[in-house]
Amino acid sequence: MISAIDVTKDYRTEGKFHRVLSNVSFTVAKGEKLALLGRNGSGKSTLIRLVAGVELPTRGAIEQTMSVSWPIGLSGGFHGSLTGNDNMRFIARIYNKPFADVKDYVDDFAELGKFLSEPMRTYSTGMRARFMFALSLAIDFDCYLIDEVIAAGDQRFQRRSHEELFEKRADRSMILASHIGEIIKAYCSRALVLHRGRGKVFTDLDLALDIYNDL
Amino acid sequence: MLSIWRGLVIQRRVVGALLIREIYSRFGRESLGFAWIVAEPLVFAIPVLFVWRAVRDPNEHGLSLMPFLWSGYLPLLLFRHLGGRILLFIRSNVPLLYHQRVSIFDIFLARSLLEIGSNLTALIVSFAVFYAIGAIDVPRDLPMFYLGYFYMIWWSVAVALIVGALCERTDWVQQIWIPYSYLYMMFSGFFYLADWLPPGIRNIALYQPYTQSYEMIRAGVFGSTITTHGDPGYTTFALAILTLFGLWLLRESRKYVVIE
Repeated sequence: MISAIDVTKDYRTEGKFHRVLSNVSFTVAKGEKLALLGRNGSGKSTLIRLVAGVELPTRGAIEQTMSVSWPIGLSGGFHGSLTGNDNMRFIARIYNKPFADVKDYVDDFAELGKFLSEPMRTYSTGMRARFMFALSLAIDFDCYLIDEVIAAGDQRFQRRSHEELFEKRADRSMILASHIGEIIKAYCSRALVLHRGRGKVFTDLDLALDIYNDL
Repeated sequence: MLSIWRGLVIQRRVVGALLIREIYSRFGRESLGFAWIVAEPLVFAIPVLFVWRAVRDPNEHGLSLMPFLWSGYLPLLLFRHLGGRILLFIRSNVPLLYHQRVSIFDIFLARSLLEIGSNLTALIVSFAVFYAIGAIDVPRDLPMFYLGYFYMIWWSVAVALIVGALCERTDWVQQIWIPYSYLYMMFSGFFYLADWLPPGIRNIALYQPYTQSYEMIRAGVFGSTITTHGDPGYTTFALAILTLFGLWLLRESRKYVVIE
């Protein structure tokens, strides 16, 4: 279970406070998949970072009783001057997973081949996303936080991602930021629509998507 | 109780992983890179100490110069390197904070341990080198020497906590650190014993935890041949306050971290 209670997040830019999220509340039960909808800059990524514990809310609280992944998106979470293998070793160590298992899985899933022994700063954005996504699946979390990443990679990778994430891990929770209506309708049971810092949870996904399209 | 233990087990694992990662990213993966951890402070210490020996009177103030410089310069290196390595350490490690299990304190701990380990190795190796050529003797009062060095490590860590936490808030800390770490050499007690100072200035100097630590280190090296003014009680008290302040600042600094 994840519960966010009256979460407010301010950023200070050029000396002024800028409120990104204002009293946002929601819950995600075990196995539930929550969609995040909102235009660019509406605070979706910020909310995901707060749930992941990467940043702290200015006010309010986020409680977790299950293991939560890092924000799985197009960037972040790895060290550019280290190789893919070294990044994998580090992450396997902190989550206490055998390196060999993690490596086998990532090798098979992300299909990076010999690039795994190259520094990660030489990877393309797609390769990085594939790598971090595969790594998060190898670690095995109760709840995955996914920021648009489904759109990364080629068709084959997308197909396999769907299989791994939505079929094999159907029992896991998920918070999914996506602009793609079909994915949301196919997998999520509720949607949190973010607009101008405010957030509202909808159980009617068609209604949520209509509102999102009108924003 | 069980959850505290579990927390400690995780923290030990995280700090261990961070240490290995730190070594790889700083020194590369080759075995030579590994040796560099030890060599790095030595490269500073040995040539500098030899040059000083060449240009200065070997028996200043009736003390032999080499033990005086050796016991002064290595603590100075620790202080400077630890502080220098901790500048902007939060910002430069933001990718690590993506992982909930990794805390800012863990990153701090890993960095400090690496720096302390490398300094202590340099301390031992440089001692061996100078001892072998007959330039220095074994410290006369070893427990006192260890105590002084322990306080010096504690002082360096406490300052690093404060510096590392504050440079997230303002860029001034970075600007000030470089001149400060040079000036520090002059007033730290590296060049003097408190006993050589006029009593008025001495009393002020002895408020400084690092001057206290130097006094104890010197008492360890020269034993009863010199008069020293170290006070472990005061030093413990002052460093405990600085450490608590630093820990509080570090906890607060989490709010200032922006992660793209």
